[in-house]
Amino acid sequence: MTQAGIKKAALLLLVLFAVLPGGARADDFDRLRKEAARITTISADFVQKKTMKILSKPLVSEGKFYYTAPSSLRWEYTRPLRSVVISEGGITRRYIASGGKMIEDKSGGVQAMKIVLDEVAGWVSGRFDANPSFAAALTEGPEARITLTPTDKNMAGMIERIEITVSRRDAAIKTVRIVESRTAETLIDFQRVVINKDIHPSVFREVQ
Amino acid sequence: MKKSFVLVCACFIVSCAALPALRPLDRPPACPSPFLTEKTRLIHAIEAGAGGKTRAVLIGITLADPAARTLSAAVLTPEGMALLEASFGPSGATIGRALSPFDSGELARRMMEDMALIFFAPAGEPVLRGVSAAGETVCRWRARPEGWVDVFQGRDGRIGIRRYSESGRLERTVTLAADAQSSYAAIELHASERVDYSLTMTLIESEAAASGR
Repeated sequence: MTQAGIKKAALLLLVLFAVLPGGARADDFDRLRKEAARITTISADFVQKKTMKILSKPLVSEGKFYYTAPSSLRWEYTRPLRSVVISEGGITRRYIASGGKMIEDKSGGVQAMKIVLDEVAGWVSGRFDANPSFAAALTEGPEARITLTPTDKNMAGMIERIEITVSRRDAAIKTVRIVESRTAETLIDFQRVVINKDIHPSVFREVQ
Repeated sequence: MKKSFVLVCACFIVSCAALPALRPLDRPPACPSPFLTEKTRLIHAIEAGAGGKTRAVLIGITLADPAARTLSAAVLTPEGMALLEASFGPSGATIGRALSPFDSGELARRMMEDMALIFFAPAGEPVLRGVSAAGETVCRWRARPEGWVDVFQGRDGRIGIRRYSESGRLERTVTLAADAQSSYAAIELHASERVDYSLTMTLIESEAAASGR
């Protein structure tokens, strides 16, 4: 290979490292973790758009999200159906609207939501690469984009990948896109995000 | 041969005797028909109950084509997780994605059959029209592959559907909304199985679906 050829190949490799998600290094995730450590509370509204082959347009859900470090969470849907999942001190409870009141869901769905909320708590605190069930890759750009790809074969056919965008300004999560298949995905868009403003502890204890 | 014939006749009489009797009228009544007439997409909130308690609240999406007698359905948690994606046609139910509690397949198949009972008019012509002991106008169809389906209208105007086994055991009761806009605005289904269950469905939205979608 000529000198010019080596130079070209090196340049190409540099470009590839800059563009490919796999180019993300461990210290990039460390930086995200350090930035997220400044977050003590988050409250936000969210709009969720579910796309499926059976639907002609996305099914839109709306709700509210609350977080207090290290792991208190409230994930509340207000429409089309009301449901509330609250998690504090390792205990997760799920409530569903029935007959005009909120009742506690005692089914196995609670355990599934606990797994999801534990994962979300990890993301909010910047621990995107902590779960061995997913391979995490980071793409730098105007917003940090983390792509999580399942490593667990049991997830095959359930989730293809999860894409999370994180604000450069305050390290808060802006969107979560869960790609279930070629024709099904869920996009959650966080809006009116408020960082580090006190949240009353009852938010994580009472369904209200 | 004579004995067998008598036995068959006896069985037929016993099986029919378990079905509620209908009193024929001089002029057969018009059959109530709440069923879909065009391809429609419906989204319902579903409260699934058993043992008198609400067990789950779900979102049900149904795309039903009455002309082809095919339907596709998805059941989601309120958080949007798809627990079931399945289709139903003349050859039965095909399950795509099925997570707990639908992963056994049996519950998923029954749910698809329930949706077909609710949204599709029974095939063919009624075999009997009359009035029940409760004063309901009833049209009775032979169900396929077996059993019986009654479509009834009560004195209060509410329309409903009952499905019976071949021997006349009541298996399903469906009561529809007395809503002039849409019978499917509110649906209540009670299933008599080894474990009885109920579905209370409240319409979130519906739209005519373009053919092919």
